[in-house]
Amino acid sequence: MEKILLNVAAPDIETYIKAGGYRALKKAFAMKPEDVTAEVKKSNLRGRGGAGFPTGLKWSFIPKTNPKPRYLVCNADESEPGTFKDRELLRKNPHLLVEGLTISSYAIGAKQCYVYIRGEFAEEAELLKNAVREAAQRGFIGKNILNSGFDLEIITHRGAGAYICGEETALLESIEGKRGLPRLKPPFPAVVGLFGCPTVINNVETLASVPAIIEKGGDWYAGLGAGKSAGTKLFSVSGPVKKPGVYEIELGMPFKKFLEEYAGGMLEGSVLKAVIPGGSSVPVLTAGEALKMNLDYESVQQAGSMLGSGGIIIIDDKACMVETLLVLAGFYHHESCGQCTPCREGGGWIEKLLAKMEKGEARETDVDLVYSIAENMLARTLCPLGDALAMPVMSFITKFRPEFEAHAKGKP
Amino acid sequence: MAYKISERTLAEIDRLLKIYPQKEAVLIPALHEMQKEAGWIPEEAMDALGARLNIPYARVKGVVTFYTMFNRLPMGRFHLQVCRNISCHFAGAAGMLRHLEDKLNIKEGETTEDGLFTLSAVECLGSCGTAPVIAVNETYHENMTVEKTDRLLAELRAENNSD
Amino acid sequence: MPKLTIDGKTIEMPKGATILQAAQALGVYIPRYCYHPSLPVSGTCRMCVVEVEKTAKLQIACATEIADGMAVRTDTPAVKKARRDVLEYLLINHPVDCPICDQAGECFLQDYYMDHGLHKSRIAPGDKIRRSKRRAAGKYLTLDNERCILCTRCVRFCDEVTRTGELTVSGRNDASFIDMKEGKGVDNDYSLNIADICPVGAFTSRDFRFKARVWFLKKTGSICTGCAAGCNIEVHHNEGIVHRLMPAPNPETNTWLCDRGRMTYKVLRAGDRLSKARIKKGSMEPEPALRQAAHLIDDAAHRAGPESVAVLGSPYLSLEDNLAIAELASGSIKTGALCLDFSCEQGVKDGILINKDQTPNANGLKLLRARYGGLDQNALIGLINSGRIKLIVAEARALNSLREKLRDLSNIPTVILALAKSDLDFDSDCVLPYASYFETEGHFVNYKGRIQKTAAAVAAPEGVQPLWLVLSKISSYTGAPIKIEDTKAMSAKLSEYALGKSVIPAICKPGSIAAKSTRE
Repeated sequence: MEKILLNVAAPDIETYIKAGGYRALKKAFAMKPEDVTAEVKKSNLRGRGGAGFPTGLKWSFIPKTNPKPRYLVCNADESEPGTFKDRELLRKNPHLLVEGLTISSYAIGAKQCYVYIRGEFAEEAELLKNAVREAAQRGFIGKNILNSGFDLEIITHRGAGAYICGEETALLESIEGKRGLPRLKPPFPAVVGLFGCPTVINNVETLASVPAIIEKGGDWYAGLGAGKSAGTKLFSVSGPVKKPGVYEIELGMPFKKFLEEYAGGMLEGSVLKAVIPGGSSVPVLTAGEALKMNLDYESVQQAGSMLGSGGIIIIDDKACMVETLLVLAGFYHHESCGQCTPCREGGGWIEKLLAKMEKGEARETDVDLVYSIAENMLARTLCPLGDALAMPVMSFITKFRPEFEAHAKGKP
Repeated sequence: MAYKISERTLAEIDRLLKIYPQKEAVLIPALHEMQKEAGWIPEEAMDALGARLNIPYARVKGVVTFYTMFNRLPMGRFHLQVCRNISCHFAGAAGMLRHLEDKLNIKEGETTEDGLFTLSAVECLGSCGTAPVIAVNETYHENMTVEKTDRLLAELRAENNSD
Repeated sequence: MPKLTIDGKTIEMPKGATILQAAQALGVYIPRYCYHPSLPVSGTCRMCVVEVEKTAKLQIACATEIADGMAVRTDTPAVKKARRDVLEYLLINHPVDCPICDQAGECFLQDYYMDHGLHKSRIAPGDKIRRSKRRAAGKYLTLDNERCILCTRCVRFCDEVTRTGELTVSGRNDASFIDMKEGKGVDNDYSLNIADICPVGAFTSRDFRFKARVWFLKKTGSICTGCAAGCNIEVHHNEGIVHRLMPAPNPETNTWLCDRGRMTYKVLRAGDRLSKARIKKGSMEPEPALRQAAHLIDDAAHRAGPESVAVLGSPYLSLEDNLAIAELASGSIKTGALCLDFSCEQGVKDGILINKDQTPNANGLKLLRARYGGLDQNALIGLINSGRIKLIVAEARALNSLREKLRDLSNIPTVILALAKSDLDFDSDCVLPYASYFETEGHFVNYKGRIQKTAAAVAAPEGVQPLWLVLSKISSYTGAPIKIEDTKAMSAKLSEYALGKSVIPAICKPGSIAAKSTRE
C-alpha cells in the first residue's frame, strides 16, 4: 500500500532530504504556477480537514485580477474529538508540510503563509518553527527561492484554545486578533479572506499531500484510492481497540479490514457497538452499518455518515450511549462561539437535559425534546458547528433510542 | 496600580508588528507572551496591552474571554489539564480527574493552597490515540494511568523543590 | 437590475440589495433582531429566514443578495416554524420579567411572540440561566444582561457609529454577555441610541426608566433645538408631560440623536422652568408683567430717545420669535439698535451629528437680517459699552453669549426673555417667561439651510405664551402695536418677511411613526 505522508519519520531536514525531500519543490519552481494548480486539480485531491472540497478547484477561485496580496493559510487547528492525524504529521514529518506550503504558496502567488496551529500544540509549533528555520537556511523559503524570483515567508501563528477556530473563517478572524467568530459567506475567503485579501485555507494533511502530487503527477495520485476519493488519507483511530493511532491508507479500504489489520481489532472483552467514522461531528453508525462500509467519502456517506476528518472513534458494548452523547454535547456547548441563536441556546439546553437523563432525573418526554432541539438547530446556524452537535444527537437518539428511553424512565 | 508590560514582551510586540500587516493581529501572540510571565492576564494587563496596540480595552477583553487558554485568575505553578473528551472519557478520564481531586484535595477549577497545582478538565487535546491525556502547562503526558499520574505529581513536586 | 418575486409580488432592485431590503421595498415585513439598517449586517439572530426557491436551506434575508429570477417566500410553514424555533431559543433563558421591564410595549420579543411564537415553554424553570441585572452602563444607560438576546446591535453601534468601542461580548456560548470596562460604561455622546436600537429590555434609558408605560405615550414629530443640526425628533409625552425625545430618522438630517439633544426637554421640568414673570425679584403672573416691560421700554425711549433701547435677536429662538423681536425694534420702538448678528462657525463637529454651532437658528437670523438689517454684533457691543444704551431687550442666552465682551451691565435696565432660571446668569428687574418649542410651533433653519418646524406637543404652563405673542402684547401696551395678534397674522408676516412666498415644508407630521424605524 502506497504511503506518501508518513512514509518517513524525518523530524530534521537532513533525513528529509535524504528520503527525497524538497525534490518536488525544485520541480514545482520549474513549472508555471498555473500548471502546479492544474496538476493538483488533476489529482482529485480533496480537503482533508473534513469538508472534502476539491483542493485544486479551491485554489482556482482566487481572482486573477485582484491587485491585493494573497495569502495561504494552513489550518493546523486540529481540535475535532477523535482526530489527531495532523499532530502526528507535524511531529513525524514537518518538512513535508513546509514543502507543501511552499509549493502551494507558489501556485496561488502568496508571499506570506500563515500556519494557524492550535494553542495546545506548543511542542508541535516549536517543531514547525524549527523546520521553517531549517528550510530557510537551505533557501527553500525566504527571498528569491531557488533563483525563481519568488519570495515566501511562513509564519507560525498559535491559537489560544477554541475549537471553532478550525472553521476557516473563524480561523481568519482569530489570526486578525479577534474573537473566533465564523464570518458570513459570501464573500468567500478566496475573494475576501485574511486581512481582506484573497486567501486559500487548507488543512495540514491536504497541503502535505501536494509534494507527492507534483513529484509523481496528478494522474498518478488520482489513480490511488477509490474513484472520486483519490489518494491516500490519514485515519486516526481511538477507543477500545488494540492499536489506536494514526494510519495512512489508500481511500476505499473496507472499514472491517482497517479495524482488524491496522487498529489491531477490539480490545479483549470488548464488542463493537458503534462507530463515529469522521470525527465527533458526524452521525454515529451502528456496528452493522460500519462493518459494511469502505473508508472513502462516498461509501461512508452511503452508510449514513461522513468521512469528515477521518477521526474514527470506536464505541464498544460497555459504553453508555447517553453518557457518551453527554460528553459530546458538553463539548459542543462549550465550544459554541455564541454568536448565533440556535447553537448558542440549543447547545446548553441539550446538555442540561442529557445530564439529567444520564442521572435518571429526566422526564420521559425529554428524549423527544432533546431530539427536537437538535432538529431545530440543523441547517439553521451561521456555521457548521450547529450541525456538528445536531447530527450526533439525532443519530444517537435514532439509533440507540431504547437506551435513552430507559434512562428517561429513571434508570441511571 | 498601572500594569507595566515587560521589556521582553514589548520587544516581542515590536518584532511582531513588523511581521503582521495589521496591528490587531499581534494581539493574541502578545497575550501569549504576557501570560508566559505571570501565568495569567489581569484586567490591568488588558488595559495596558490595548493602549500599546491602540485597541479599545473592550476588544481585548472580548478576545481574552473567548479563548480558554488565557487565564483570568492567578494559576498554580503546574496547570494540570485533564482531557475530558470522548476517547479520553472511554479510557477513564473521569476517574483520573476524581483521583486528582482527591489527591490534591481540590475541586476541578481550583488551585492548591500552596499554589503548586491548578486542576482543570479540558476539551479534546488532539491526542486521542494515546488516551487518557493530561497536559501539564504546555507538555502532554499520554497513556496515563493512576500510577503514572501519582508518579507525575511526585516528579512535579520534586521539580518545584529543586528550584 | 435584478428582478425577483417575494411572496408572488415582483420587484426590481439594484444589484447588491438584500432580500430583506427588497421585501421592505415591497412592504413585506420580515422579523429581525440583529439586522439594523444603519449598522453592519451580522446575520446571527437567524430570525429573518426565508425560503428561496431551488435552495435547500432556509436563507437569512438580511445577508442574502438578490438575484435575477429569484423566488422568495416569507410565509411558508418551514419559515414560520424556523421563526418560532428561534423565538423559543431566545426565550428559554430570558427572564420574562415584562411587568417590571421598561421595554414592554415596544419589545421585539413580545411583538414577535404574538406574531410568530405563541408556543408553550418547554424548558424546566430551574434550567434557565440567570445573569446579572441592573448594571449601570454609563451616565444614561442601564444594562440588564439577563434580558439580552446578544444581537450585538449595541456593540456594532459603538464600533461602527461612534467608533468608541466601549462594548464587547465577553465569554462564549450561552455564557457570553455584553461587557464593558468596569466603572467606565458607555461614555460617548450618543449612548442613548443604544437604548433605542436594543430590541429588548437589555439596555434601557436611566432617564426614562420607570417614568411611563410606553403604550400611554403620545408621539409628536418635531425638531431638536439643541444645536444647528436640526435633527428630526419625536416628542413622547403623556398628560402634558414630556417623557423622552427620540430620533425620527430623516436622510436629510439624522439617523441618530445625541444625548445632549435628548435632554433638551429637561427645560420643561419643574424647578428650573420659569412659569411666572419676575419683576424686581418678585414673582408675578406673566400677563400683568407685560405692562411692566412696556413701561420700562416707554420710559427709556422717552427719557433718552428710542435709539437708547437696544433690542437683540437670538439664535436660540424661532423665526417667529425673532421676527417679532425685529418688528418690536423697528416697527414699534423705532430704534436702530437692533442686532440680529449671531452667526458663528458651523459644520458637523464629530463626524456624526453634533454641530460646531450649538444654537439652532443662526441661519434663521440671517434670513431676518437680510430683511431688517440692524447692527453687527461689534457695533452693538460698542454702543452698549459707550453708555448710550439705557435699556436692553434680549433673550437670556443671546445676551449671555455677549457678556464677555460687555462692560458691567448692572447699571443698564433689561427686559429679559427666559425659559429657565439657569439661563439667567445676571440680575434683571424684568424677566418674562415664554412658551418653549415643545409647547409652541416655531421655524428653525439648520446649518444646511433647511427650514423646519417644531410642533406643540404639550401645553405651556398657565399664562405662559409664545414669545412673539408676548412681544406683540408689549407693543400694544406701548401704544405702537406690531399687529401680530394670532398665528394667521404671524404666518402671513413670516411668509412675507422671512421666507418669501415659498411654501414652508412640513417636515415632521405630528404623530408620525418615524421612531419605529430607529428601533427597526
